[in-house]
Amino acid sequence: MIRLENVSKRYGNGHYGVIDVNLEIHRGEFIFLVGPSGAGKSSLIRMLYREELPTSGEIYLDEFRLSQLRRTQVSRLRRQLGVVFQDVKLLTNRTVFQNVAFAMEVVGAKGHDIQKRVPQVLELVGLARRRNNLPHQLSGGEQQRVGIARALVNNPVYVIADEPTGNLDPETAFDIIKLLNEINRRGATIVMATHAKEIVNQMHKRVVAVENGRVVRDEARGAYGYEP
Amino acid sequence: MNLNSVWYIAKETGRNLVYNIWMTLASVSTVAISMFVLSFFLVLTVNMTHLTTVLQSQVEMRVFINANVPRHSEMTLLKQADQWPGVRKIQFFTKQQAADSLKKEFPDQRDLLTLISKSNPLFDGFNVYTKNPNEIPALAVRFQHEKAVHNVVYEGQVVSRLSRLSVIMKWVGWAVELLLGLATLFIIVNTIRLAVFARRREVAVMKLVGATDWFIRWPFVLEGLVLGIVGAGVADLVVSQGYHWLIMAATGALPFWPMAPYAQVMAKTWDFTLIGGLVVGGVASIVALRRFLKV
Repeated sequence: MIRLENVSKRYGNGHYGVIDVNLEIHRGEFIFLVGPSGAGKSSLIRMLYREELPTSGEIYLDEFRLSQLRRTQVSRLRRQLGVVFQDVKLLTNRTVFQNVAFAMEVVGAKGHDIQKRVPQVLELVGLARRRNNLPHQLSGGEQQRVGIARALVNNPVYVIADEPTGNLDPETAFDIIKLLNEINRRGATIVMATHAKEIVNQMHKRVVAVENGRVVRDEARGAYGYEP
Repeated sequence: MNLNSVWYIAKETGRNLVYNIWMTLASVSTVAISMFVLSFFLVLTVNMTHLTTVLQSQVEMRVFINANVPRHSEMTLLKQADQWPGVRKIQFFTKQQAADSLKKEFPDQRDLLTLISKSNPLFDGFNVYTKNPNEIPALAVRFQHEKAVHNVVYEGQVVSRLSRLSVIMKWVGWAVELLLGLATLFIIVNTIRLAVFARRREVAVMKLVGATDWFIRWPFVLEGLVLGIVGAGVADLVVSQGYHWLIMAATGALPFWPMAPYAQVMAKTWDFTLIGGLVVGGVASIVALRRFLKV
């Protein structure tokens, strides 16, 4: 479970990214974080994978208390997480297979485990045939699938996605959401920040709306609720 | 750290070195030049120390005793002087022995030989060897103060100057080396900074998927060490070939000049340059990582 207790984030310029947020996310949930640009969604997301720390309050993720983690524990925390970005962050000089395998190599996975696991994940995201292509040979949607495959390859408990469909056309965006939904069905918890109104409205998942750094709405089967 | 990680880190280090081949070459050359200069000064100081030792082992000071001093007084002085601080060895010679050695040294000087054969004008005396050539002047003065002593002759000034010069050379060497070391450090830091910059995406992804700090750092540290050790190796190769050639040339041209033996010189330069290369490479990568790699 992820639990946020009175979490606030104040930046150096005095601006508040997040103000007094309380939130519980249970295992197996699929949550959309919605809100206008600059509302604080990305600040929240970054605090979840401990790229940033709250100025006050505390975030708990399973047994981890995020502000108290020693450096060596941060890597342990992140092995529980899969993070997906809008700009994917693929390594341009490596093939699809190598990009996904990279995530396993750097946590010290064994060679034969990598050879076994990577094709499985590529199959899941529908890129088995593209394994030897370089990122620039892929469409935007395919690149995002590689990003998701990379986030999944180490079997994370939580998948945290920061506007993963932001750069994609509506149809491709829907494919990506279907994929995330499938991953959710297989047991992973999904937390996704998004602007995609159509998608949120059709999925009928839990929606947490953030405005000016505060949670203003938390509905179990919610709608987007804004004009994007 | 398991074998997969070790293999991965080695692979990444190799990849960095090859991808930034020009920076790699620049770093290796600066390390090599810096280590070459270090070796140059080492070769010089080892040789000067060797020369000083050789000269020291030769006679350093001759003390001549007045003609009318009886043998037992000479022996008393000999025993006393043997206990003086700074005296390594002292040998007595009679004026007859002095004449004999003179005859041997100058067999062609007939007039001289006739002269000393008729009535030997030479003196009895001591050959004195010191522990440190710097002590020769003081000892000479001490002998001069003895009533029995006629005069003191020494060539120790050469040795003493030589040993002073070798101390200066050592310090100049270290100073030059310090400056070159800093320059080398700067260039390796820059090489690693470029490597970090070239791989910032990899580093970001590594952090996100939970690679440990040291797993991220190792390839860069290893890169610095490799640059240092390869540079040192290149310098050693050049110096060992060069010194080999120098010894050969010196044996032909200056047979009386005592060159320090090849093995002795090389043992010293290898030790210093390889350790120096490792230290410079290691320190540079740690500096670079502290400044440019936020893990």
